Amino acid sequence: MGRAATTPRPRLGVVKLASCDGCQLMLLDLEDELLAIAERIDIVEFPEASTHRSSGPYDVVLVEGSVSTPEQLEQILEVRREAKLLVTIGACATAGGIQAMRNWREHDAFRAAVYAHPEYVDSLATAQPVADYVKVDAELRGCPISAEQLVEFVTALLTGRRANLPDEAVCADCKRAGRVCVMVARGIPCLGPVTMTGCGSLCPGFDRGCYACFGPREQANVASLSREFIRTGLPPVEAGRLFAGFTGYAEPFRALVTELGGVPGTTAVPHAASAADTAAARPGGTR
Amino acid sequence: MTTVTRSAIGFLPRADFQRLIDLLSEDDRTVIGPTVADGAIVYGEVRAVSDLPRGIGAEQAPGSYRLVDRGNDLLFAYTVGPTSWKRFVFPPTLAVSRSHRDEDGHVSFGPVPKEIPKLAFLGVRACELAALGVEDRVFLGGPYTDEDYRARRTRSLVVAVQCAEPAGTCFCTSMGTGPGVRSGHDLLLIELDDGFVVTAGSPVGSAILDQLDLEEASADQITAGSDQLAAARQRIGDPVVAAGLHDRLMAKLDSPRWADVAERCLACTNCTASCPTCFCTSVSQRSDLDGQTSVTERRWESCFTKGFSTVALGGNFRPRVQDRYRQWLTHKFATWIDQFGTSGCVGCGRCITWCPVGIDVREELNVIAPPPQVVLGNGKGSEAHSPRTSVFRVDAARRETQDTVTLTLSTPSGIDWSKLHGEFVMVSVPAVGSVPISISRRLPTGMELTIRGVGPASTILTGLGHGAEVGLSAPLGRGWPVDMAEDHDVLIVGGGMGLPPLRPVVDEIIEHRAKFGEVRIYHGARTPGDLLYAEELARWAARGDLEVGVTVDRADATWLGRVGVVTHLFDHARWDGTKAIAFVCGPERMIQATVTTLALHGVTSDRIFVSMERHMECGVGLCGHCQMGPYFVCKDGPVFSLAQLGDVFGREGI
Repeated sequence: MGRAATTPRPRLGVVKLASCDGCQLMLLDLEDELLAIAERIDIVEFPEASTHRSSGPYDVVLVEGSVSTPEQLEQILEVRREAKLLVTIGACATAGGIQAMRNWREHDAFRAAVYAHPEYVDSLATAQPVADYVKVDAELRGCPISAEQLVEFVTALLTGRRANLPDEAVCADCKRAGRVCVMVARGIPCLGPVTMTGCGSLCPGFDRGCYACFGPREQANVASLSREFIRTGLPPVEAGRLFAGFTGYAEPFRALVTELGGVPGTTAVPHAASAADTAAARPGGTR
Repeated sequence: MTTVTRSAIGFLPRADFQRLIDLLSEDDRTVIGPTVADGAIVYGEVRAVSDLPRGIGAEQAPGSYRLVDRGNDLLFAYTVGPTSWKRFVFPPTLAVSRSHRDEDGHVSFGPVPKEIPKLAFLGVRACELAALGVEDRVFLGGPYTDEDYRARRTRSLVVAVQCAEPAGTCFCTSMGTGPGVRSGHDLLLIELDDGFVVTAGSPVGSAILDQLDLEEASADQITAGSDQLAAARQRIGDPVVAAGLHDRLMAKLDSPRWADVAERCLACTNCTASCPTCFCTSVSQRSDLDGQTSVTERRWESCFTKGFSTVALGGNFRPRVQDRYRQWLTHKFATWIDQFGTSGCVGCGRCITWCPVGIDVREELNVIAPPPQVVLGNGKGSEAHSPRTSVFRVDAARRETQDTVTLTLSTPSGIDWSKLHGEFVMVSVPAVGSVPISISRRLPTGMELTIRGVGPASTILTGLGHGAEVGLSAPLGRGWPVDMAEDHDVLIVGGGMGLPPLRPVVDEIIEHRAKFGEVRIYHGARTPGDLLYAEELARWAARGDLEVGVTVDRADATWLGRVGVVTHLFDHARWDGTKAIAFVCGPERMIQATVTTLALHGVTSDRIFVSMERHMECGVGLCGHCQMGPYFVCKDGPVFSLAQLGDVFGREGI
């Protein structure tokens, strides 16, 4: 029908807040599709790809990163005014990201410990997901986001259908892929049962427990899962720490982390062990 | 069929097992069987004996699976792992169709061409064979069929291996699917210490068996195979009482346990994905950027996800995890039977082992829908009571007719017998036996029983005099739902000995007369001499607020009343059946005629209650004699609504 030829090309912007740019890079990594997408969409703002800057209005804005500074707060309010469709991409924008770990702690103490001249650093006390400040129309989860989901989202946008994004646990992808459950067969703690899939069950495919990059799925039963971790030998504080990762600031992970005392930087464990280190250190959790 | 070939039951030494793999691999067939990968025994390609899990077993418990090295040479000494054969006949993702819209806007739809592999499934257990049978019914039972499934299924050979190592999560015995292999296989292997007893289950299997050209298995080897099976069966036990599970489960849709299990359930979908019979799918579109070419992709889905039951505008029929768990469990064990004529569960235990938090479906079933208890109900409602026998004494014996006597019985137990529900008692006479007798009047200290002497026991009972003792069970069975008749007109029809069971109904109505509308009582007897409670009928009629009609089949010189069958008393009368409830008791022929007349007057089947007669032996639903369709007359009846009986009522030979 030649849709692309007759319909005005949607204007798309990519906006970055506090983040590592990894999700923007996923867009650049779409080697097969990027040119085709660029033919059908005007990418008017994309700092990772071009120094050329353009202001709105936008038909779609992809927002990467969490709101961590007063400047970013102003920026996101401006973007929201300029965008018909505001889409958050990645764990930082959707859940606060790794930098949201500071939300549990004294902000000024962190700032003083990290920066030689903390007085030059103007940051908010907390790093918050975008949805805490403005209305978000859609979100692509993950750390980084899934290229496949990004293409699906753009395709659905262009064809006018609903994007086919999953609402199920990582377990569903594990089972479809024929992966053996690392939790049942090896006793490795895995957040897959409470985590939204989208990664293609990447970590269990490499004999690791899921880190919940894609964040909590609906009605995530973190109470039951953490009980099982504790029942099978994990100290409660370590069970809590497993949930305090990339999306730990998202509920219900946040409440569980607080409840179990897995708040980052507060335990007697010598250094903040990652979920995988913790898993590997457990009896039966070796690979 | 006339000649038994030398290889009907062959023995394949383990050292020769590669020959079987090679034979199965002929014609570009891929052998799929047990292999060790990622800490489990999973089904993968098997080219050589060395691919098989020699000496490897698996310890399984709710939420736990661990490989163990058993240090022997057995190739199939494990129980089912995470993979099921479902994956090979019903792929997790499948491109099902393609659509296209060309530059001119014309659309076309078509299939996605695909190559269906030829496979041989090696190591299929009895439960897994049963699961394939269940899937056959689901996908091929019609009216619509899944032709992709059919193609994969028919292109697959099935080599079953008898189960020798059941896991701690197995319950095939309860579901009636194993551990013995009965049918559905091409070949069956029974693994012994030094090799395999091999039999064929199909012509294809026979051909392979012939090609193997085996020595005949010895009697000892065959016996060893049977012993192995018996041992496996004994190890599994019978963890779930499957009999009656459908009804027990469906009666518990409001169980508090659903919320309890939802508190543990992760809704992670591992149970449904591991299940060898769960068949739900979703489809999605994969299109190019312009939406011109699109492939419809089907993938395994689960009733545990939100999207599974979400409708347009975001509404959801099963918003809570407890709703979803209930859907899964009741479908698997109950409504599946309604849909496909078979349970959806084969007892393989995968949903138990592979649940990350170890929810054990066996335990949930036993809590939610506990198996029937031997001790009957506790006297609440119209539940049956414990059948313990109490001693009663005859206080009075009143002769009603030539062969019929009403005994007044009491016991000094202190129990107010008039308050006990139940329709009949089992009356026991030492050395003679027990007979079921309907209660014809409830008294605080006991009851009245009106008994016609027709057999040895009842004849002895009619001969009992003051002071004689008999044994009585507590009242049993479900009686007349008199409370339902409140605010209704009531029609009571007793034919012959059908009147005594109805007398307590009349008593209750008289006691609370204002609660009921017009009340009509009709009694028919063979002859005037067979009329029961003649004086009492006259008293009832004299009250003025009860209409009483009496008729006899055959009159004599003294009889001035009505003659004819009992329906004649009310079939021409002008009365409105739409507000009436009817209680009918008597010979089955009489009940049928009455029911027909009632229907003509507008009494619907849910308002017609009948008491059915069957051979009652035990009175508590254990001996099986009184079955009537799905019911035990003693336990579920003897009083039923006509609607409840459905087309069982009046059917010959039921």
